[in-house]
Amino acid sequence: MRLVLEKRAETPFALRLLSPLLAVALTLVSAVIIFAAMGQDPLHALTVFFILPLSDSWGLQEVAVKATPLVLISVGLALCYRSNNWNIGAEGQFLVGAMAGGWLALATHGAPDGPWLMPAMLVCGALGGALFALIPALLKTRFGANEILTSLMLVYVAELLLDWLVRGPWRDPQGFNMPVTVGFEPEAIVPLLLEGGRLNIGTPIALLVVVLAAVLMGRTLKGFEIRLVGEAPRAARFAGFSADRLTWTVFAISGGLAGLAGVLEAAGTVRMLQPGISPGYGFTAIIVAFLGRLNPVGCLIAGVFLAVTFIGAENAQIMLKLPLDVTRVFQGLLLFYVLACDTLLLYRPRLVRSVAA
Amino acid sequence: MSLTRRTLMAGAGALAGAATLGRDAGAQQRLNVGVVLIGPVGDFGWSHMHDQGRRRMSELLGDRVNATTVESVAPPDFDRVVTQLVRTGHRLIFTTSFSYFAPTQRLAPQHPQVFFENATGPTTLPNMAIYNARFYEGRYIQGVIAARKSRSKTIGYVATFPVPEVIHAINTVMRGAWSVDPSMKVRVVWVNAWSNPAREADAARALIDQGCDVLCSHTDGPAPLQLANERGVFGFGQASDMTRFAPRAHLTSSVNNWGDYYAERARAVIDGSWRPTDTWGGLGSGMFRMAPWTNMTPEEVSEAERVRDAIAAGTLHPFEGPIVRQDGTQVIAQGQRLTDDQIRAMNYFYRGIDVAIPG
Repeated sequence: MRLVLEKRAETPFALRLLSPLLAVALTLVSAVIIFAAMGQDPLHALTVFFILPLSDSWGLQEVAVKATPLVLISVGLALCYRSNNWNIGAEGQFLVGAMAGGWLALATHGAPDGPWLMPAMLVCGALGGALFALIPALLKTRFGANEILTSLMLVYVAELLLDWLVRGPWRDPQGFNMPVTVGFEPEAIVPLLLEGGRLNIGTPIALLVVVLAAVLMGRTLKGFEIRLVGEAPRAARFAGFSADRLTWTVFAISGGLAGLAGVLEAAGTVRMLQPGISPGYGFTAIIVAFLGRLNPVGCLIAGVFLAVTFIGAENAQIMLKLPLDVTRVFQGLLLFYVLACDTLLLYRPRLVRSVAA
Repeated sequence: MSLTRRTLMAGAGALAGAATLGRDAGAQQRLNVGVVLIGPVGDFGWSHMHDQGRRRMSELLGDRVNATTVESVAPPDFDRVVTQLVRTGHRLIFTTSFSYFAPTQRLAPQHPQVFFENATGPTTLPNMAIYNARFYEGRYIQGVIAARKSRSKTIGYVATFPVPEVIHAINTVMRGAWSVDPSMKVRVVWVNAWSNPAREADAARALIDQGCDVLCSHTDGPAPLQLANERGVFGFGQASDMTRFAPRAHLTSSVNNWGDYYAERARAVIDGSWRPTDTWGGLGSGMFRMAPWTNMTPEEVSEAERVRDAIAAGTLHPFEGPIVRQDGTQVIAQGQRLTDDQIRAMNYFYRGIDVAIPG
């Protein structure tokens, strides 16, 4: 006897939509149990975790700031994954974007610059991320190298490049040999949008990207091509779509978006370059992309949800004195439930008698 | 009187006001203290010891403080965590890493009613103090012990980044070692991380393979010491008492003690005497101590204690002249002593250390 998973003939559309919500509900139930086990009032704990971050303007702005890089990166990844291109290296593309944009900020440091600087930095960041993402695309289409491995390994290349730059040529001469660049000048810092918070132009950019990506996927031939190549490569070939060209396109888009997120983060929240510039956004965005069902609007919702859990975790540490590990458990549970729900909705477990060998 | 919406609102407002008043009265008695950590509480090194300091402060001051730790705060999240601490009524905030120096410097003027303390930063502000410990004093003692213990006459140093803090630590280890045996050598591997157990262990392995038989480490965790234990050489613990991680290899550890300082600073805020001080305490003031000596002979122990007591009493100073750079230029002559600013900015190895500074 063994357990096999059989693909269900069809899964109702409503169930597909409900699956992530079911996963969130299960996570919440687990959260209640965990909080109760840790001696906290579950209702109060859930309020601190999920409601408080959304309860005032400052909190909402912080959620937006935290969600922006996750949404930007995950929308790009969703396009990639839809077309069966597995870009795991968004973290590296994020860092290269930060370096490319940061390079411009450092090159103009102390020199006369103007309002052109910020847009130019954003373009540099997006270009840097896109070019870096084209390396795995090239290796895949030209040599058949597995893009999961190459894109992942390029993350370490990007990390070490940043490490070298900030310890070597870009190091702040007044920085006590610490691996940091000088702080960016005001012109090179992403403009804030509201008083009393850190909301910056990154958030409207991310929302625009979500809209554009949703239109691209739902209303254009390119979107159809992406879906077709991913779901039925043979049919796509018959339709005259080039899978190789599409690989280049989606890698460039997702790398560009990750790079844009990188420069926005470097010039927005950190305001300098240093090795710890990303708390794993490129990897967390993979979770966001799947949680959002590889759909741009879904990515937006999932990105905001994950941002709330991150900030909720900080609140829980500050107001409930709960350790950080509790959040990590949460996020792990959440992904686990998402995958479990998906699997059980799309597949049916069945016991089969093993055939005598 | 009819119960209108307005009276209801007024009643609710009064209730809320009373609740706030009650909270304020409580807050006046209790000082909320925030501690922001760069790593996890469980690193058994730097962040762990700051958290231990927070605990000790709470023990010492009891009900007068209410302390909060936020761990593994990455630079992009720092502003939010500090702002949230301020918003939840924390009036004294310790930001425990050099990486937080620039952002603390940026945030402190925005919250003039809050007192900030940055560990290992170089400059103060009206509401921002800085503090650090003279860890080099412990390094000198390590050098003395290492020279006694080493048969290969070579010390291995698992270094983090080529920052002055680490460079002067390596120099002092060698100063201590040379005071016993002028033929002592050092080998250095830079792991370019404060905490990365896998790389730390690799570095330790490489150093042992190159003939080092006593390991010093500047990283946060016990990995190099554990490897020393496995390979049958000696090593020193860093930040906390690491005897239990390496019962056969451990000689001594520099054990950080931030708690007394934290308690003193919290007391200063409570009684209104807080000033933006620049504190650099050593063995003498108890900012750290040497953990129990293990795997050492009674003679070695008594020598280590003699050196420790001399440093604590100020009769032995690890940065006495003459100090000559690797390239042969003299920094200070016999009879002189480096100033704190010179120590903090140290950017060169001593003559006799044939290791290059990267970058």
